[in-house]
Amino acid sequence: MPTPDLFLQGIDNGWQVHNASLLENDLQLDVDIVIVGSGAGGATSAERLSAAGLRVLIVEEGPLRTSSDFKMQEPAAYTELYQEGMGRMSKDGAITIMQGRAVGGTTLINWTSSFRTPPATLKHWASEHAVSGLDEDTLQPWFLRMEQRLGVTPWQIPANANNEVIKRGCEALNLDWAVIPRNVRGCMNLGYCGMGCPINAKQSMLVTCIPASLDHGGSLLYLARAERLIIDKDRVQQLECHALDTWGVKRTGRKIMVRAKHYILSGGGINTPAVLLRSKAADPYQRCGKRTFLHTVNFSAAQFAEPVNPFYGAPQSIYSDHFQWRDGVSGPIGYKLEVPPLHPAFAATIFGGYGEVSAQRMAQLPNTHMMIALMRDGFHPDSASGNVELRSDGSPVLDYKMTPYTWDGIRRAYHSMAQIQFAAGAQEVLPLHDDAHYVNNLNSARAMIDSLDLSTYRTRLGSAHVMGGCAMSEDAKLGVTNSLGIHHQLENLSIHDGSLFPTSIGANPQLSIYALCALLTEKLLQRLVG
Amino acid sequence: MPHPANSVEFSRRSFLKLSAASAATLSMLSLSAGLTGCSSEQASNGFSVLRSDDIIFLSALLPVLYSGAVNAQQMRANLQTTLPAIDKNLASLSPSMLQLTLQLFDTLNNPLTRGPLTGIWGAWSKASAADIQDFLKRWQHSRFDLFKMGHNALLQLAMLAHYGQPVAWQHCGYPGPPRLH
Repeated sequence: MPTPDLFLQGIDNGWQVHNASLLENDLQLDVDIVIVGSGAGGATSAERLSAAGLRVLIVEEGPLRTSSDFKMQEPAAYTELYQEGMGRMSKDGAITIMQGRAVGGTTLINWTSSFRTPPATLKHWASEHAVSGLDEDTLQPWFLRMEQRLGVTPWQIPANANNEVIKRGCEALNLDWAVIPRNVRGCMNLGYCGMGCPINAKQSMLVTCIPASLDHGGSLLYLARAERLIIDKDRVQQLECHALDTWGVKRTGRKIMVRAKHYILSGGGINTPAVLLRSKAADPYQRCGKRTFLHTVNFSAAQFAEPVNPFYGAPQSIYSDHFQWRDGVSGPIGYKLEVPPLHPAFAATIFGGYGEVSAQRMAQLPNTHMMIALMRDGFHPDSASGNVELRSDGSPVLDYKMTPYTWDGIRRAYHSMAQIQFAAGAQEVLPLHDDAHYVNNLNSARAMIDSLDLSTYRTRLGSAHVMGGCAMSEDAKLGVTNSLGIHHQLENLSIHDGSLFPTSIGANPQLSIYALCALLTEKLLQRLVG
Repeated sequence: MPHPANSVEFSRRSFLKLSAASAATLSMLSLSAGLTGCSSEQASNGFSVLRSDDIIFLSALLPVLYSGAVNAQQMRANLQTTLPAIDKNLASLSPSMLQLTLQLFDTLNNPLTRGPLTGIWGAWSKASAADIQDFLKRWQHSRFDLFKMGHNALLQLAMLAHYGQPVAWQHCGYPGPPRLH
């Protein structure tokens, strides 16, 4: 039986959902709350604010795509659902940044891993970044609430062969591993979370908080880019938005001006600081866009005798934090080990190379396992970090600079991954680096890894987690907002998204964003309606 | 895997003599190409972004990139579907990323920049597979980020488009998405 398209049904039943690309005239709107961005932060906030009876408008620059559009095809997904048509990368072009851009934001295309913010991260924020009131105990009920809301539970079905490698390798080496909690209901274990869930099993914002907000009279305007806030003294007066064409690429020329009692930016890392930069919002300590983090990822491939079929099954279900905290919070950089799903187009681009080399690697795809290490950036002063800048057309770009401290983590992670892969029975291992090749034993892998020239472009790097850039801190010299997510200089402006994080999270960030924003919204409501 | 250090070293050395001047020239030329309207040529018939020169360049480059994955007899037919796939991917890029990509193509197509920067002194359509491999090596091992970035961008563009298509899946043993109903 075909999956009912709940979103289209909602529109048929009278939801206030509007496509800005169709506007023939400029528009002026008046609401209680306008939220820029419909991802984890924006939609979580919208649900609660709508339920409290406030008139809420969500503005989303991406298109609306719903379950009946999701055909599990890479080209359509990448061009329609990802920032800059999957062309988003660090300013130097060395790190591909996978970030969602559609109604539902990155929750529409993430791989569903749902971790609570590690207690060590929260303690570090309190002690080093003057964040107050966000300790483990305070957040605990909010994690619980969002986990229940989004069906987060450790994955019950056996891991696919790609994930199983982490478990098998770690067990053989006596390293820590665990099952990943996922936000799904009725998941069929397909493996296409990154292309939009075709059966509405993933509890993304598209099927949870956005519908709830719309059910309570909220409204959604998509294909509308928040250009800038119009600011007078210490208050935002209006939000100026530009309508985009059907493809979400070019402006149509129509403008939408939104007047609200309170403004919430939820565009995520990179886009939220960009709105503030374009608005020339007061930033006396030059904090906006600074300290943006990526959980920069490196890759290690392995060949197995048995088929792995890394394109099928829940993409992420097993992880290892063995190397994440063992040197302390701010010792040598820690990293989390996970796997990515490997569909052909994605696989071919990260393998690199061309001609016979690429053809050979791709011919082995069904027997290929891939592991990734996510660098826990931002906890040490020597960590790699990025600054958001505006290009001449006002669009943002992240200037992220690798450092020797972070490269050291990349090299250690290559070693850890090769070790686990061989322990799990890999026949051959390949660190994804221009100068590396498949080797059939750990000693050769170790020698090769030690000899690699770890530099940008030669080392394959990626990111799917953009965090920071509008850090929260009670100290205005350290952050853009206070610990309530309220802008230090603008009293009617909040930020509710991952750009608030003073460092990276040290775990896939979606649940951290949900819980934090649910809590911040509750506090905002108390302030707005008493 | 063979490691052609000698030939790389050779091309690197000969390239370095040119590259200091060339990096500056590259940005100047792509700028002047823009100003004089050279790069404002319309997209080719049936394409939204790719211009006729881009298609000539890609038609020379792609068979080298896909060799081993696509056999010689099927290469022409493959380009018929891959070029539109690349065009579609480019059309969905943000305006600034598209502009960067078109500047890269301008540099590759403009005879004034192509020779010194790529080592391809004649037309792309006349370049041999070995010439194109030399060009790719030269950019991959350049001292300048701009060329390394260009090298990676060309490979990614090509691989993303090719392996996104069902015609490429037999080679990589991908049965395609499951049937749901």
